Amino acid sequence: MKILKDIDELRYAGIITNQEAFKIREYYAEKAELSKDRLFIVFGILGAILVGLGIILIIAHNWDELSKITKTSFAFLPLLIGQILCGFTLIKKQDSVVWRESATTFLFFAVGAVLSLVSQIYNIPGNLGSFMLLWMLLCLPLIYIMRSSVASLLYLIGITYYACETGYWSFHSSETYFYWLLLLGALPHYYLLFMKRPGSNFMIFHNWIIPLSIVISLGTLADNTAGLMYISYFSLFGMFCIIGNSLFFEFQNTLNNAYKIVGSLGTIGLLLALSFDWFWTDLRTGDFLYSFSIGSPEFLAALILTILALVLIFFQQSELDIMETVFFFFIPIFYLGLFTLFSAVLINAFVLVIGIFKIMEGVKNDHLGIVNYGLLIITALIVCRFFDADLSFILRGILFVLVGVGFFATNYRMLKKRKTND
Amino acid sequence: MINRKLILFFFILVALAQLYVPAKMIFDREDVLATGTEYKFKIAPIDPSDPFRGKYITLNYVNNTIDVEDNQFWTDRETVYVTFFTYDDGFAGINNISKEKPSNTQDFLKTKLRLTNPDILDRFVKLVIDLPFDRFYMEEFKANDAEQAYSKSLQDTSKVTYALVMIKNGAAVLKDVLIDGVSIEEIVRLEQLNKN
Repeated sequence: MKILKDIDELRYAGIITNQEAFKIREYYAEKAELSKDRLFIVFGILGAILVGLGIILIIAHNWDELSKITKTSFAFLPLLIGQILCGFTLIKKQDSVVWRESATTFLFFAVGAVLSLVSQIYNIPGNLGSFMLLWMLLCLPLIYIMRSSVASLLYLIGITYYACETGYWSFHSSETYFYWLLLLGALPHYYLLFMKRPGSNFMIFHNWIIPLSIVISLGTLADNTAGLMYISYFSLFGMFCIIGNSLFFEFQNTLNNAYKIVGSLGTIGLLLALSFDWFWTDLRTGDFLYSFSIGSPEFLAALILTILALVLIFFQQSELDIMETVFFFFIPIFYLGLFTLFSAVLINAFVLVIGIFKIMEGVKNDHLGIVNYGLLIITALIVCRFFDADLSFILRGILFVLVGVGFFATNYRMLKKRKTND
Repeated sequence: MINRKLILFFFILVALAQLYVPAKMIFDREDVLATGTEYKFKIAPIDPSDPFRGKYITLNYVNNTIDVEDNQFWTDRETVYVTFFTYDDGFAGINNISKEKPSNTQDFLKTKLRLTNPDILDRFVKLVIDLPFDRFYMEEFKANDAEQAYSKSLQDTSKVTYALVMIKNGAAVLKDVLIDGVSIEEIVRLEQLNKN
C-alpha cells in the first residue's frame, strides 16, 4: 500500500512521530485482516449455497436404479452432515462468522433437500405452499441459534415465495395471512442487527430484502375490494420514505438506503399508474361501493398502515419531504374518485408538483441527481399523457422538446454554478 | 457457559425436529403402503416440470365426480371424506362423500371438493373430488419417454392406463402407474433399451 511506504518518509521528515507511525501501521494491518475475513465469509457462504443447490439438483434427478431405502438414506445424508457441521460450530467455532454462516447455509438447503426427496420418493402431492411453509418453519430457529444472517435472508426470501404461492398463484385461502406471522419471526434478528451491527453488509441486505418482501406480499391481501389496496400501498411507501429519511439513514450511501428508493419509486410508480382515467372509471362504475366492508382485509390493512405512517410522521425528527405526505393526500383524492373523474386530474397535478419540488430541492442542495430525478418524474408524466390524451403530434413534439431543453438547461446551469464556485 | 449449553440444547431440539418431520412423512406413507386398501384409478397424464422436485407426470383421473342432492349445502374447496367402491372392470369409483370422518372404517380418503355447477335451481350438484395423488415422479431422463408412452396408449383405445393407489385412514399413497398392467417405468426402460 502506498501510504505504508510514505510513513517512513513522513517520519524522517519529522511530520509524524514514531508512535504515530506505529499506530498508522497497526490501523492498516487491522483493516487488511478485516477485509480478508470478509472475503472468507463471502466465499464460505457462496460455497455452501452452491453445494446445497447442487445437492438438490442431483437429488431431483430421481435415481430409479436405487432402492427406496438407499434413496431415503441419501436424502438424510446432507441433513446429517449439515447438522454435524452446525453442532461443531456451536461447540468449537461459535465466534467465527465464517463457520456460523456457511454451516447454517448448508443446513438450510439440506432441510429443503430432504423434504423434497421424501416427497419425490413417496409421490407426495405437490403443494408447493405447504412444502415451503414446512421448510421455513424447520429453519427459522437456526437464525437465532446459529446467529446467522444468511439464514435470516434465505428465510425472508422463502416466506415471500410462500406468500406469492398461496396468495397469487393458487386459490385464495386464509393461509395467505401466515406470511405476516412468519415475517414477525424474522424481525427480532433484524432488530439485533440494527442494535449491534448497524453498518454491516448484512444489515444493508436486510434493509433491501425486508421492504421488498413486504411490498410483494402486501398484494396477497387483495380480495373483493382490491381498490383499497392502493391506499395501503401509498401508506406503506409513505412509511418507507419516512424511514429512509430518518437520522439512521441520513449519512448512508443512497444505494444502501433501500427504504427511500423503494418508497420513492413506489409512490411515483403508483401515482403514474393512477394518472390514467381507466382506474377511476373502473372505481366508479365497478362494484367497489357494494363490496366495501369495514371488516375486509384490505380495509384493515389500509387502516393499520395509514395509522403507522401517521405515527412515524409524528415522531419524525428531520424535515418533512413531499414524498412522505403523498399517502395522506391520496385518501381524500381516492374518496373523491368514487364520485367524479376529477381525481385523475388531481393526481396529474400532484405528480407535476412533486417533480417541481424535487427539482427545487436539487437546485437548493446543489445535487444533480435529485434535479434529474425531478425532471424524470415530469418526463414520465408527459409520456403517460401521450398514451391517452388527444394531443396533436405538433403539440406533443413541442412538449418533448421543451422538457429536453429543460434537462440541458438545468444541468448546464448547475454545472456552471459549481465551476464558478470552485 | 450455561448460555452455551442452553443454545446447544435448543440446537439439538431443532435438529431432532428436522429429522423427525421427514421421518414421520416416510413412516406414515409406509404404513399406508403396508396396511391400506388397494384401488386402481383410471388416468390421463401430462408432463410439466417443477423446479424444486425434478420430473414427474401429472395425472388426471376419469372417475372423480359424484352427483349428490344439494341438501347439505356443499361449499367450494371444503374438506370431505370419501369412500370408494370397485366397478366390475376392477377400477375404482366414488361410493360416498361426507363432511364427517367415517367412524366404522379406515378405508376412506380425506380431501377437498370443487363445485362445478353451483346452480341454486338444480336439485343435484356435480361434485368434483380432488384426488390428491396426482404426481408420479420419474427419473429425469425418463419422464419425457413416459409421457410419449402414455400418449401412444391414449391413441390405442384397447390399452388401459391406471394408477395403483393405497388408501388408509384419510391418506393415500400412489404406488405405481401402469399401462395394460405393465409399470410405466418398465415400459420406458424397455423402450430405451430398444432405442440403444
